[in-house]
Amino acid sequence: MPAPWATTTSGRLAAYLGLGGAGLLAGLLLSRPEPVILAAPLLLAAAVGLALARPPRLEVDVRLDRERALEGEQVELEVEVRALRPVARLEVEVRLPAGLVQLPPAPEPASSLAAGEAYGYHRRLLCCRWGGRLVGEVRMRARDRLGFFTYREEERHLLPLRVYPPPDELRRLVRPAETQAFVGNEVSRLKGEGIEFADIRAFVPGDRVRRINWRASAKRGQLHVNEMHPERNADVVVFLDTFTDLRHPPAAPRNPAALMTSERESSLELAVRAAAALVGLYLRRRDRVGLVGFGGTLRWLRPAMGERQLYRLVDALIDTEVVLSYAWKGLEVIPRRTLPPRSLVIAISPLVDERTVSALFDLRSRGYDLAILEVTPLAFVQPGRREAEKLAYRLWDMEREALRGRFLEMGVAVTAWQPGEPLEAALASAGALRRGLRVVRS
Amino acid sequence: MTRRITTWVLPGAMLTAALAIYPAMTLRAAPLLLGLGGLAFVLFIAGQTLPVPGALAWALGLLAVEYLATLELRDAAFDVAAPGYGAALFLCAELGWLGLEARRGGGLWPGRAVVVALLALVGAALGAALLLLAAAPVAGGVVLTGLGVAAAVAIAACLAWLARA
Repeated sequence: MPAPWATTTSGRLAAYLGLGGAGLLAGLLLSRPEPVILAAPLLLAAAVGLALARPPRLEVDVRLDRERALEGEQVELEVEVRALRPVARLEVEVRLPAGLVQLPPAPEPASSLAAGEAYGYHRRLLCCRWGGRLVGEVRMRARDRLGFFTYREEERHLLPLRVYPPPDELRRLVRPAETQAFVGNEVSRLKGEGIEFADIRAFVPGDRVRRINWRASAKRGQLHVNEMHPERNADVVVFLDTFTDLRHPPAAPRNPAALMTSERESSLELAVRAAAALVGLYLRRRDRVGLVGFGGTLRWLRPAMGERQLYRLVDALIDTEVVLSYAWKGLEVIPRRTLPPRSLVIAISPLVDERTVSALFDLRSRGYDLAILEVTPLAFVQPGRREAEKLAYRLWDMEREALRGRFLEMGVAVTAWQPGEPLEAALASAGALRRGLRVVRS
Repeated sequence: MTRRITTWVLPGAMLTAALAIYPAMTLRAAPLLLGLGGLAFVLFIAGQTLPVPGALAWALGLLAVEYLATLELRDAAFDVAAPGYGAALFLCAELGWLGLEARRGGGLWPGRAVVVALLALVGAALGAALLLLAAAPVAGGVVLTGLGVAAAVAIAACLAWLARA
């Protein structure tokens, strides 16, 4: 059953009735027809207005041309309103969730509908920000024929729209220290069947003839065979810190262009964007990729391969949000199979929350290959103007340096990633740091 | 803003001024009446600019009072211009409220314009019919006065019933 319309009466009706009534009274008191004659059009208007005024009966249907879109793309929204009863004037407004902007931002047109007539309102929506959205909150405002009454109603025909971050063109990734058993693109440290040359050893029965290194055999007077590194895949787990979200103060106007600039993004938005780019590229390399959203709400996806896993991961990422929680959480809350042995864990975090820092130390202590992409919180915090504020900022910066040093001592590469800086540069620096730490081969 | 003023406020103010001046024109010494009309004009403008819808109702009431006071001072039997004045007063009220609605983004739509124009015409015709009825050579009395009161009560009851429905 549709919700009843909220009705507002114009002050004009009360004024007409009041003046009309006064006119009738004056006519009686003065014994003249003129007051009644003056009151006649006003009373007639009030009578006609009251007789014609009926709340509208409408059927609303909301359609989106698709359920999935990439950030920066446009989607078509159509709202069809069918009148079961005539409507003198109808205005339809679709309330858009944050991250969607109407193009062009024109005011909603008004229309009148006869009984049985339908009208379609078409809107082009620009997807400014990734995320799961529900579109279809329709607000309607109708007027009666003389404008004495205004009827308002809000209907919700919510349709899901999933806006994905655009694929980031990455060429290099953080290389895992260990590989798994399946064939992939990563050169394993182990020796076996492969393309990459590893070593030479003496021939043993069972070795293939085609692997004999004839030059080395002739030199040493004994048969030698080449050993190869096999190409294997890796298990990669993206560890996303959702305890903290740092934002710039809202200063810029909220126009579509401003919404699309990455410099205004929060730390969590940057982290999700980076995570989406990483999982996409690792999956294309045939690696198994999993996800741990470590925050007020724990979310996880076990490592798996393929296109379906990509959609699962990106769907999980765009639903990421910060949930306030004071509860202490450690690694014990993460299901064991989410973090397979010998997997590479890439943590994306501003390293602000103590629980995340402690969990990362714990991960490394358990022998996981860990790399940290630090969405630097310094970019979101101003040093302040007073001397004490500046000093506090410097101390905080030094504390963070010390924290990075502790991670480095444990063999964990921590790479600071500034907003606006390409992710590729941060990953390249992480790779170099890991080679320096001898976590991976150069 | 400019469109609102040129479309609704300016014609409304001009019509208010005309309605304020017209009764005084028919009477020689009428500074008090002109004062009433002037006050109605000021109230109309104040109602549009502040905006106060109540001021608009008072402006209309003052215009009617000025007109009726003129008739009393002239001691005229009937004024044949009364239906026209009534229709103009109604149009003035509509222009005033349209000006107020335009401030909130509202406006006049074709259906409403047609109904308002028809109401003004029918109102004037109704007024003319009432005037003819009043001019009919019928002696007054308690019965007719009672009928008038009953008619007024019936109109009020009809309006109340419509409002409830």
